[in-house]
Amino acid sequence: MEPLISLQNVGIRYKRGNKFFRKAIYFDVLKSVNLNIYSGETLGIIGRNGAGKSSLLKIISGILKPDSGQIVNNGALVTLLALQVGFDPNLSGRDNAIFGGMLQGFSRKGIEKKIDEIREYAELGDFFFEPVRTYSNGMRARLGFSLSITINPDVLLVDEILSVGDQYFREKAEKTMVAKIQSDQTVVLVSHSVAQINRLCDRAIYISDGTIKAEGNPAEVVEVYRSQK
Amino acid sequence: MPDKSISADKELQPADKAFEWPFQAMRNRQWVDSAYRWAVLRKAFPQHPATWFQGIDSYLKAGRYKSAKLLIDKAKSRFPNHPSILILSAQLFLHQGNTEKSETLLRKARQKHAYFLDTWLTSAQIAEQLGMLDRAAKYYNKACQCRPDRPSPFIEFAEFYMRTGQWELALERWKMLRNAYPQLSNGYLRAADAARQLGQSKFARQLSLSYYYGQDIFKKSTIAHKIHSQNIGWSKIIWFLNLIWTKALYNLRSEVHRNYLSYGWWILEPLLHMTVFYVVFDLLLKRGGENFPVFLLAGLIPWMWFMKVISNCSASILLGQNLILQVGIPSIIFPLVSFVQATLKQIPAFLLLFAFVIAQGFTFGSHWWALVPVVLVQLLLTIAIACSIAAIIPFIRDLTFLVPTGLTFMMLLSGIFYDYRGIYPKYQDLFLLNPMAFLLTCYRDIIMKSASPDFVSLTKWGIGSLFLCVFVFSVYRRLRYVFPRIIME
Repeated sequence: MEPLISLQNVGIRYKRGNKFFRKAIYFDVLKSVNLNIYSGETLGIIGRNGAGKSSLLKIISGILKPDSGQIVNNGALVTLLALQVGFDPNLSGRDNAIFGGMLQGFSRKGIEKKIDEIREYAELGDFFFEPVRTYSNGMRARLGFSLSITINPDVLLVDEILSVGDQYFREKAEKTMVAKIQSDQTVVLVSHSVAQINRLCDRAIYISDGTIKAEGNPAEVVEVYRSQK
Repeated sequence: MPDKSISADKELQPADKAFEWPFQAMRNRQWVDSAYRWAVLRKAFPQHPATWFQGIDSYLKAGRYKSAKLLIDKAKSRFPNHPSILILSAQLFLHQGNTEKSETLLRKARQKHAYFLDTWLTSAQIAEQLGMLDRAAKYYNKACQCRPDRPSPFIEFAEFYMRTGQWELALERWKMLRNAYPQLSNGYLRAADAARQLGQSKFARQLSLSYYYGQDIFKKSTIAHKIHSQNIGWSKIIWFLNLIWTKALYNLRSEVHRNYLSYGWWILEPLLHMTVFYVVFDLLLKRGGENFPVFLLAGLIPWMWFMKVISNCSASILLGQNLILQVGIPSIIFPLVSFVQATLKQIPAFLLLFAFVIAQGFTFGSHWWALVPVVLVQLLLTIAIACSIAAIIPFIRDLTFLVPTGLTFMMLLSGIFYDYRGIYPKYQDLFLLNPMAFLLTCYRDIIMKSASPDFVSLTKWGIGSLFLCVFVFSVYRRLRYVFPRIIME
């Protein structure tokens, strides 16, 4: 089967200590990563903080270009869902949702038609019309998640978004995500919850120090991750 | 030998909570421990067969056949007709290599104790060990018929097919388990393993998801909507312009709602500026002249448009970093949004200018049409300069500090509160090389003198600005992947 997206020997490095008269120090975040993403699968990514998970997602979504190696995208439209969706704190939840929807490719009219659904799903009540700066973290996450489920890209990258909000909303969000997975949505899921990876994913990778340390069956990969903790 | 039956089947009687202690060791496959624990419990509950037979089982699994043999003999005298005697003895013989004797005992058990589940399970396990798979399947089947009220024979049977790689048969068994015991995980998760072996990954996923989330998730439809692809075409450009427009409007709205005077500031601010300049230059320095307020306003308001755009745009890419790093949106959107936002805010000020000019008795006529190209050239020039500065600042953030100084310098050199004709003639041409100085002259020529502006120079500036715009846009395209990097680093 031909992969939707294929990463070949992908490496990425960030510059640190960038000042005048000082030599830049490079820091390798990903080193020679090989990864295929296939249509319809749910791929889990686990690893500790700073292992390079988020950078990997940024590469897959096309926000960053790798410094070495290459990424082949066979025409898939990729969307990254992250906890800190670029909300403007001074705009109301509604305005943020409309702008956010447009950013994801909706037309203004298209997203306005969906706005009631988004509002209802987010369960924000009248806060929906208040500036986002007055929201709690959980409320922000709810708004972000509600917005993100309205879109259906070819590949959905989910960065820790399922572990926010209260228990009730987490369960609701996870169920919605499952329904999406079930409808053959290709999903790449980053999570610190190994149980979640086990439950949701068909395949998993474990990243540490910028390389893939284990790949395959989620249960086995989780085992490797646990053993190295 | 598989021992999944331990936890599922050897049922506890209410009085025997103590049995949980050895069973726990058995579940952890700590057979020596469990044998010891059963020995302790045997002292307390000698009349309870489990303390004997589970003890024997533990010895067998621990490989302590001598102890097992001794215990079987003791148990025999206590429970002579218990089917476990035959079954455990058969296992012992098998371990000692006496398959014939083992089979004889099992046959006897099958005849005498066909109702006893372990008879069939042990027969099946031993047949499987000896490689008689057909016979093993038959015994597993018997086990299922013998105790349809228990999950363990179904599990054992399915696991047998899993071990022998008969995935389809295993799937069938798991399905039976699922139907009878929908709460047990094996029916879903192990079935998913089997489905995966058959290459049915979709079915596998459905099985495991339905265990964790229930069957009803398959009925739910999502409210998701397929978004259009990334083709660059007119619809994409319209979408992009709409995005800029929407964001600019929203920004204005939120900005306005934070002030008490809200939209009033859009008029008040240029008026305040004008008052300051008027007081200083006309009243205090006596430098004004005839119609100084009109002269001042005609220069100040176009200048403020330029200044507001530049100062709002300069850090716009840095301020948009959240979006750049998460949506992968082209960075040019940020200076353009700032541009639209600042421009919309200047519209009332321009209207104020026109109203004021007409109120002062200047004629409003067809020559005012010349304002259109002047405004257009200023628009192009402003976009070009604003986008250039916005692009440079992420690379050299220190320049942020230079922007206000640069703007002040340019303001002083644009002749807002004085006429350039008052400076040394030899510097006048040089002075007009400042595009803003030139444009302000055009505005004043049209508004105050009812004269045509210098169209030749205007065209030159227009074409120059257009080229600069095109160049800057192409730089943005080229730097598309550099901006997120530079912002992160």
